[in-house]
Amino acid sequence: MTVWTWLALAGAIVVALVAAAQVRRHAAARAAGRRFLRHPTASLGVFILAFFVTLALAAPLVAPYDPTRQLDPVHLQNQPPSLRFLLGTDVYGRDVWSRLVYGARLSLGIGTLAMLVAVTVGAGVGALAGYFRHWLDAILMRGVDVGLAVPRIFVLLMAVALWERLPLAALVLLIGLTGWFVTSRLVRAEVLSLREREFVAAAQAVGAGPTRVIFRHVLPNAAAPIIVSAALGIGNVILLEAGLSFLGIGVPSPLPSWGSMIHDGWQWIVAAPWTSGFPGLAIAFVVMALNAVGDGLRDALDPRDTLDPRKEGT
Amino acid sequence: MAFTRPPVRLPAHVALVGVVLVALTGCERRRGCAGDYCGTLVFAAAGEPDILLPPVTQQQYALDIFGQVFLKLADLGLSQNTIGDEDFQPRLAQRWEWDDPLTLVFHLDPRARWQDGQSVTAADVAFTFDIYTDSLVNSPFRSSLRTISAVTTRDSLTAVFRFHARYPEMFYDAVNHMHILPAHLLRPVPRSQWRSAAFGRAPVGDGPYRFVVWKAGESVELTADSTFFLGRPHIRRLIWRFTPNLQVAVTQVIAGDADAVEVLGPPDNVKRAQVAANLALYPYRGELYGFLAFNLSTNGDTTKPHPLFGDRQLRRALAMAVDREGLRKSVWGDLAQVPPGPLARLWSIWDPETRQLPYDTAQAARMLTWLGWRDSNGDGIRDRDGQPLAFRILVPTTSALRRQYAVLLQEQFRRIGADVQLDEVEFGVFDGRTQAGRFDAAVIARQADPTPTSSLPQVWTTAGRSNAGRYASPVFDRLVDQASAAPRRDAAKALWRRAIETLNQDAPAVFLYAPDNVAAVNRRVTDVVIRPDDYWALVRTWRIPADQLTDRDRAEP
Amino acid sequence: MTAWLVRRLAAAIAIVFAVVTITFVLIHLAPGTPFGADEQHQQDPEVIARLVRQFGLDQPLPVQYVLYLRNLLRGELGQSFSQHRPVADAIADTIPPTLTLAGAALVVDFAIGLALGVYQAVRPRRFGDIVLGNVALFFHSLPTFWLGLVLLLVFGQWLHVFPVGGMRDPVLCPSVTSARCLGDVVWHLALPALTLGLVGAAGTARYQRAAMLEVVGEDYVRTARAKGLGERRVLLVHALRNALLPFITLIGLAFPFLLTGAVLVETVFAWPGMGRLSVGAIFQRDYPLVTGAALVATGAVVLGSVLADVLYAVADPRLRAPGGAR
Repeated sequence: MTVWTWLALAGAIVVALVAAAQVRRHAAARAAGRRFLRHPTASLGVFILAFFVTLALAAPLVAPYDPTRQLDPVHLQNQPPSLRFLLGTDVYGRDVWSRLVYGARLSLGIGTLAMLVAVTVGAGVGALAGYFRHWLDAILMRGVDVGLAVPRIFVLLMAVALWERLPLAALVLLIGLTGWFVTSRLVRAEVLSLREREFVAAAQAVGAGPTRVIFRHVLPNAAAPIIVSAALGIGNVILLEAGLSFLGIGVPSPLPSWGSMIHDGWQWIVAAPWTSGFPGLAIAFVVMALNAVGDGLRDALDPRDTLDPRKEGT
Repeated sequence: MAFTRPPVRLPAHVALVGVVLVALTGCERRRGCAGDYCGTLVFAAAGEPDILLPPVTQQQYALDIFGQVFLKLADLGLSQNTIGDEDFQPRLAQRWEWDDPLTLVFHLDPRARWQDGQSVTAADVAFTFDIYTDSLVNSPFRSSLRTISAVTTRDSLTAVFRFHARYPEMFYDAVNHMHILPAHLLRPVPRSQWRSAAFGRAPVGDGPYRFVVWKAGESVELTADSTFFLGRPHIRRLIWRFTPNLQVAVTQVIAGDADAVEVLGPPDNVKRAQVAANLALYPYRGELYGFLAFNLSTNGDTTKPHPLFGDRQLRRALAMAVDREGLRKSVWGDLAQVPPGPLARLWSIWDPETRQLPYDTAQAARMLTWLGWRDSNGDGIRDRDGQPLAFRILVPTTSALRRQYAVLLQEQFRRIGADVQLDEVEFGVFDGRTQAGRFDAAVIARQADPTPTSSLPQVWTTAGRSNAGRYASPVFDRLVDQASAAPRRDAAKALWRRAIETLNQDAPAVFLYAPDNVAAVNRRVTDVVIRPDDYWALVRTWRIPADQLTDRDRAEP
Repeated sequence: MTAWLVRRLAAAIAIVFAVVTITFVLIHLAPGTPFGADEQHQQDPEVIARLVRQFGLDQPLPVQYVLYLRNLLRGELGQSFSQHRPVADAIADTIPPTLTLAGAALVVDFAIGLALGVYQAVRPRRFGDIVLGNVALFFHSLPTFWLGLVLLLVFGQWLHVFPVGGMRDPVLCPSVTSARCLGDVVWHLALPALTLGLVGAAGTARYQRAAMLEVVGEDYVRTARAKGLGERRVLLVHALRNALLPFITLIGLAFPFLLTGAVLVETVFAWPGMGRLSVGAIFQRDYPLVTGAALVATGAVVLGSVLADVLYAVADPRLRAPGGAR
C-alpha cells in the first residue's frame, strides 16, 4: 500500500460520508424521506453502499496491485494482513485487498445487471397480466407459479452445468431471468388496483392505447414495489452469485468476484482464513446495506406492505 | 483404570458409589471386545467409490476397499520388484511353476473360500480373465492383459495362463491386474449390465475382510474374516469415512475421528499432522506424477492436428515458459520434485540427469515471435493471422491441488502472452473428456503402476489406452518396446532414458510434480507397513496392542 | 373447502408436470449426449449404441418424452450413471438425512426467531430492539454457506468441539439405535442446523416483529388494553396469538427453503442429503439423477405450499366460510 492508495481509500470514505449526508439532508425534507430515515440502519446502509460503489468506480486508485497478478507465489503466499497487504495475500500470492476492490466491481455489477433484467421482465409481465387480465393473466400467473415452484439455485446449477463455458453475460441474464417471479406478482397486484382508478379510465377515454396507458400511467404509479424489490433483488443476486462461484461455476478464474474469492480461499481456510473471510464479510455488509435500504424504501414508499422473510436458497 | 491414585480412606457411601462405578465400567468393558483381535481402523477418504467392482472402475478408493475383500493370485513384495516371479508373495495361488517359457501354471490354495462358503476354484480364475478382457465389460485393465492369450483350467485348483510372447514382467501382468471374482455369483449378471450390478454395492469376496455396509455419502464398513486362510487379521473393523476434500480428511485424522489417511498432500496438511501428538507419519515413495498435457489432436481425432498444439515448436515454447521449480515450491514445498519426464518417484528408472527442456522465458518468447505469434494489437495477448494465442485448461474440481496448478499456469502463460481460461469440471467428466481427447490442455495426474513397463506405454505410446493428448512418436514407441523387452536392468534403464528424452524434446506435456507421499496413522496402531504401490495392502498384519485399545476399538458394531 | 382443496391439488399436480417437462427439455437441449458422465468407460461405439437404444435416445424427442413420462408414472426414475444403481434408491437414501437436518434447522429457526421477534416487538424502537434488529439483519444477509464455513472453522477446526462434517460417527454409531447414538447424530447436526437455523431465524424474527407490531394497532388489542389488562398480557396473549396466524404459512414456505437452501450447506458439511446428492449429480452430468432430484425437490416445494394453504384455511375461520376461499 502506497501513500496514494491510503489517500484514495480515505477519499472513498469521505465520498461515501458525503453521499450519505446528502441523502439524509434530502430525505429529511420530505415525509416519505423521514419514514425512510426512521429505519434504524437505512443511513448506515446508504453509507456502506456509497463506500463500496466508490471503491468499485475508483478501483484502479484504491487497489495497490493488479488483482489477478501473482506477485510471488512462493514467498508471498498466504501472507497475513499487514501494512503492505491490507487484507493479506491468497495462496497464489495475490493481494486480497486489491481483489476485494475489483471484486466490488464484478459483484455489484452482476447484481445490478441481473436485477435490471429481473425487474424489467417482472414489471413487464406483471403489468401485462394485471392490465389485460382474463386469459393472459391466467397463463402468465400459472407460469409464475411454475417458476416459483422450482428452486432457483437448482435451475441455475442445471443450466450452468449443462452449458458449460457459459459466458459471464449469459450467466447474468440467466440469474435475471430466474429472479422476476415475485416482482411480477407484486406489480400485478398493484396494477390490478390501479387500473380501476380514475386517471386510468380518463386516459383510456381520451383514446390512449394500452401501451401508452401502461407506460405513462400505470407503471409509474406502481414504482414502489418495483423499487423495493430491486433493492432487495440485488442482494439476492450477490448471494446467488457467491453460491455459484463457491461451487466453481460462477465467475471464472482469475477474475475476482467475492464469491470466486471465497472459492479460491476456502481450501486454505485453516492456514489463511483471511482469504475467504474478508470477501464473505464484504458480501454480508453490502447485502445487509441493501436490505436495510430496501426496508427503508418500503417504509417510505409503501407502508402497508409486509416483508417477505425468506431469501433464495444460497 | 478407575483407581490409579494411591488408596485413601473413603467414607462408606463414597466407597459404595465407587464400587458401583467400577462394577458399571466393568460391565461396559465385558460387553466390548478385548484381546488381540479387536481394533477398529477408520480411513479418512477424500472421495467416495462409484462401485465396488474393479473390472469396471479405476477409482482409487474403490480399489482400496476392494483390495481388502478380494485377493489376487499373488502380490507384489515390499521390494517392489516387478521382474520375474521371485519377489512375489503367494495369495490365492499357493505356488506356481512354468511349464514352458510361455505357459504359467497356478496352484490355488485349497483352503481358500468365498465368504458364502463356496471354494475358490480355477474356474473362478478363468471366469475373471474372461470378464476383464470382455469388450462389453470394457475394463480399464483390459489393455494390460493383452499379452495373455488364454486362461484355462487343468483341474479345479489349477489354472493355466498362456502368453503371446516372452518378456521380463510376464508374471507381474498375470497376477497384478486382476482381483479374482466369484464366478458362481457373477455369472448370471449380463455382461452389458456390469456397471449397475447389485453385487457392486454389496460384494462377496475371498479376502481378509468381509463387506458389511455401504452408507451412501458416509462410509463403507468391512469386518475381519476370522477364518481367513492366510491368518486372521488383527484389526476387527475397517471403515472408510468419506469426506469432501483432503483438508477435511486430514482434520478428521488429527481430531481422532479417523485413524489413517494415505496421503497428506500439500505442506500445510503435513505441518498440521506433524504437530498432532496422536499421529505417526510414514513417508513412502510416490506412485504418482502430475503434468499439463497438450492435446495434439482435435477432439481426439488423430487425423486432425490441434490448431495450436499440433505444432511441436509452439509446445516447446510454452513448455519452456513454465517455471516448474517455482510452481513446485509454491504448491508442494519440499514434498515433491519436478519429474524429469513422465516419471513417478517410485520407479527405479527415475534419473535426474535425463535431458529436458530448460526454463527460459526469453527463449520461449523468441520462439513464439519467430513462429509468428506477436502482440499486434497491444492487448498483452499474442496473435497470428487475427487469431489470439488462446486455449483452455481442463481441470477437475475435485482436486484442490490440480486447480491450484491450473491457476498458477494461467498466470505463467499470461506473462508470455497466451490467454488461458480454465474449464473446471467434476472428476468423472474430466476423466471422460481426457479419455475422449476433448480438451485443449489438461492438468492430469497419473496413478502409476509400480513399473514403467505397463504405465508408460499406456499413457504415452501411439496405441496407449490412456494417451489423453494423442502423442504419437514411432521413435518413442520403438524405444519403449525395446526397454520393456530388455532382459537386464541397466540396459533397460538406459533405453528408458533415451525414450523419455525423445518424448521431452517433443514436449507433449509439461511435467509438473512427482510427490513423495506421507501417510498419517494413529499412534496406537503398530506394525504399520505401507507398500508404496498399494498403501493398505498389508493392513491385515497391522495391530492395535491390547493395552492401547480405546472405546472406539472395543465398541460392538 | 373441499372443492377449493381439489382445485389447489390439481394446480399443484399441473405445476409438477410442467416442471418435469421443463427439466426434460432443458436436458435434451443441452449439448452432448446424456452419457457424458460415463463416457470414460463407454468408449466402444457398440456399447454407446446399445445404451442409446435402451434409453430410447435414438427415437424422436416426443417419443422419448412419452417413454419418460410413462416410466415416471410407473415410479421408475431410471438408472443413475454415477452411482450405478436406481435413481429412486439413491434419492431414497438421502431423504432421511435431509429431513433430519431440515427439521432441526426449523426448530432452531423458529425457537430463536419467535423469541427474538416477540422480545423486539415488546419494546419497539428501543435500544435492544435496534441492536437485535441489526444483528438479525446481518445474519439474514450472510451467504449461508459462508456462515457454515466460519462455524466449521471456529468450532470444528480450531476448538474441536464439533465434528468437521458427516452425519454420525461410523465407529461407535453405525446406526441410530441407542440414546448415545442419538446424541452422536445431534452432535453432528449442531453446526449445519445452526447455520441454516440462524440465517432463517433472522428472517423469522423480522417477520414476527413486524406481524406483532401490526396486530398491536388493531381494534381487539385496543379493546383488551381498554379492559385494563396488563401490557405484557395484552401483547403475549392477544397480539401474539393473532400474529401467529400468518406464521403457519411460514412453516410451509420454510420447508422448501430448507430443502434447497441446504444445497450448499450440505456440501460444506458433507451431509449425506438431497442437496449434496443433487450438486454431485449435476456436476457429474448424471441426467437421470438430476431429473429425479429436481422432481422430488419441486414436489416438496409444491406440497409445502399446499400444506401451508390448508393449515391456514383450517386455522383462519374467515377462510372456511363459503365463498371465503380463494
